[in-house]
Amino acid sequence: MFSSIKIAVVLMMLAGAGGGVVYVKNLKADLATSEANNLKLEQSVESQKVVIEQQANDFKAILVANQELEKTNKTLAAEFTALDKRFNKINSKGEVRDLGDLAVKRTKPIERVLNNATKKALRCVEIAMGSPLTEKEINATKKSEANTECPSIANPNYVPY
Amino acid sequence: MYHIKNILIISLLAIIVSGCSSVKELQIFKTEVPRASLNLPHPEAAKMEPLQWVIITSENAEEVFAKLKEQGKDPVLFGLSDKDYEFLSKNFAQIRAYMIKQRQVINKYKEYYEPETTKEE
Repeated sequence: MFSSIKIAVVLMMLAGAGGGVVYVKNLKADLATSEANNLKLEQSVESQKVVIEQQANDFKAILVANQELEKTNKTLAAEFTALDKRFNKINSKGEVRDLGDLAVKRTKPIERVLNNATKKALRCVEIAMGSPLTEKEINATKKSEANTECPSIANPNYVPY
Repeated sequence: MYHIKNILIISLLAIIVSGCSSVKELQIFKTEVPRASLNLPHPEAAKMEPLQWVIITSENAEEVFAKLKEQGKDPVLFGLSDKDYEFLSKNFAQIRAYMIKQRQVINKYKEYYEPETTKEE
């Protein structure tokens, strides 16, 4: 009776010890997996940081691009207003400039003015299409040297007052 | 006796079963395939043909047509009134402004999406 109990207890102890060994082994494997997972999570956090940083840089780039486009829009609008003013300038008598009347009275000079302005306007179209600027255009700083039709793209060094 | 045995068996099973629980390995998939750059070149700028305006009034009409004949040109002119000339100039300026804006937008897209190819140009 006692011997069978002893055998049972020994078997139980052996089974318990075996179970313990298996348990510890599994625990070690789990620990290794958890460590690997931690490493992956850390790497994931790092890559997320890079993504967030990239997003911030993209946002800045978009902002800068929009600001530059806005600046161009303003410059072009100002040039268009200047063109409108040239046609509808108010003279010293308070009258609006009449190009037709001027052309009747001073035909040749006005013809010359129109042809010069047209030549400049055609050059503006070429520049707008991507034609490279000439040395003369780049170095122009005075109004007499500048292309007054589109100084913003034709004469980078000319500052209109 | 049976009572003690049952307790021992249950304890043993509990230890063995707890050993089965495990942490699963985390799987992260990352497949990044860079898209080929479009990198289209800008169309070549055209060279504009020169234009010559001729102002014709009731006083100089004969002189202008005589000059055209002298130059071997047909004695005909396509006319615009002063107001129409103003509109033509303004239309021209608006088309030009649109081209400038459009080109800038394309350049900005290129800089944003293809910074490497933009640097190379």
